[in-house]
Amino acid sequence: MNPENTTCCDIEPDLVAVAAGEAGASAARGVERHVAVCRDCRVALERYRVLERMVADLRRAPVAGADPALSRAELESRLADIRSRMVAYGIFSSPLGKILIARSELGVSMVRYLDSEGAARSHLARLAGGEAVEDKAAVEATYEELLDYLNARSTRLGWPLDLRWAGSDFQRSVLAATAQLPYGAVTSYAGIARRIGAPASVRAVAQALRHNPIPIAIPCHRVIGSSGDLTGYAGSRIGLKERLLSLEGVPVGLRAHKIERGHMYVLFDGYTEYCLPTCGSLSQKPMAQLTLFGSRRHAEAVGLTPCTACRPDLHPISA
Amino acid sequence: MVRDMTEDPFESVVAAHHAEIHRYLVRATSRPSDADDLSQETFVRAYKAYRSLPPDANVRAWLFTIATNLYRNHFRAEGRRRQAMVMAAAGGSERGPSWPEGEVIASQASARIDRIVAALPLKQRLAFTMRKVHELDYDAIGESLDCSAESARAHVFQALRKIRRGLDDLEVVYTERQP
Repeated sequence: MNPENTTCCDIEPDLVAVAAGEAGASAARGVERHVAVCRDCRVALERYRVLERMVADLRRAPVAGADPALSRAELESRLADIRSRMVAYGIFSSPLGKILIARSELGVSMVRYLDSEGAARSHLARLAGGEAVEDKAAVEATYEELLDYLNARSTRLGWPLDLRWAGSDFQRSVLAATAQLPYGAVTSYAGIARRIGAPASVRAVAQALRHNPIPIAIPCHRVIGSSGDLTGYAGSRIGLKERLLSLEGVPVGLRAHKIERGHMYVLFDGYTEYCLPTCGSLSQKPMAQLTLFGSRRHAEAVGLTPCTACRPDLHPISA
Repeated sequence: MVRDMTEDPFESVVAAHHAEIHRYLVRATSRPSDADDLSQETFVRAYKAYRSLPPDANVRAWLFTIATNLYRNHFRAEGRRRQAMVMAAAGGSERGPSWPEGEVIASQASARIDRIVAALPLKQRLAFTMRKVHELDYDAIGESLDCSAESARAHVFQALRKIRRGLDDLEVVYTERQP
């Protein structure tokens, strides 16, 4: 190659391309013509060809001092850690308005009613140590099940739940007891307190349910005041509580947001028969010891049988 | 598309590409411990972004892009310290001694290539490694280096030209290597 010769300078990229087998037909012809008359470029081309072969050896050569297996093992454990903390979420429309659904590899970790999409951020920030990633596809199936539930096509959300972000063991026990409440039934905050063996902690129970991370699936809407008042729900969304209960056939007094014991079938704690509210001394019993059902159907769906004394099957409560 | 969270398609991405990305980074950094860290970081980033990757994306090229960007940031941070090291390493071979013949020559030559490559400007070095060691196409290399495919090709050309010139005194390498 003659550096004084501009043809030689211009053709060098083509020499490289020909040596690498990347040259187009016209570049290859140009190189062929040139090297036929230019000895320096002929040598250069040959050297580029040799270099290509040496570089090919480089591809196969082991890399000194490197152990990808060790690095990969570390990577796998880092990924496993991230995966366990990763929470996929999506924001969806529902009959109850915009809803945020989040789930981890362990199960559903958060359901939130949203006033605006911007509110999602502050909710997700509560998943301390979690890695929230928007991924509607990953929560789509969960959303579909929720829609079926809210449209009365199903009565059960059989989701695995991830309660790692519940505040405390006390809250977890309150949530677990609440999750046991059957579809179409209600009990009182005092009833939940009694069930978890902390009958004096009624206010703490109410507080724990106020911060229920997974409403609907953990049916805190089925927990009411001892007088039958709906009290509160998800901030100031008492209307949603009423809708969820109505969906389950629980009659809610339209004016006072109140459930009348007199309009509900009654289960006394520890019994397997359900009664009319007027049966025996039931009307004197404290709410904390009772579970109320809006319909016989839902009482019997959980295996209860009609009381053989008051016979709710023969004398159903008129709507 | 409904994706089951318990099944992780990313595992197969790691299985298919980790060793190669690691190898690329060992070459780029010349320090296996840096390559360990950077290759892990590459896959951690990829894992987090994987969900939003279009299904028809070229995953391998995408991983090279992430690795290259991480390395370039790392390189900037390491900056002068590393540059000084490379200069010292390359300095000794500026004037090539006369090499003995045969097998030794070939390995000496590839060691010389490694040294020349290590002293190349960043983009030429990475473009050369991606093209010649990992056989990525110029589009993918351009993507990684934030330049056009044509510039990527030019970087590889410059690298090869310098390597060839750097080996010019090793006449015997060429003659030994004649087919």
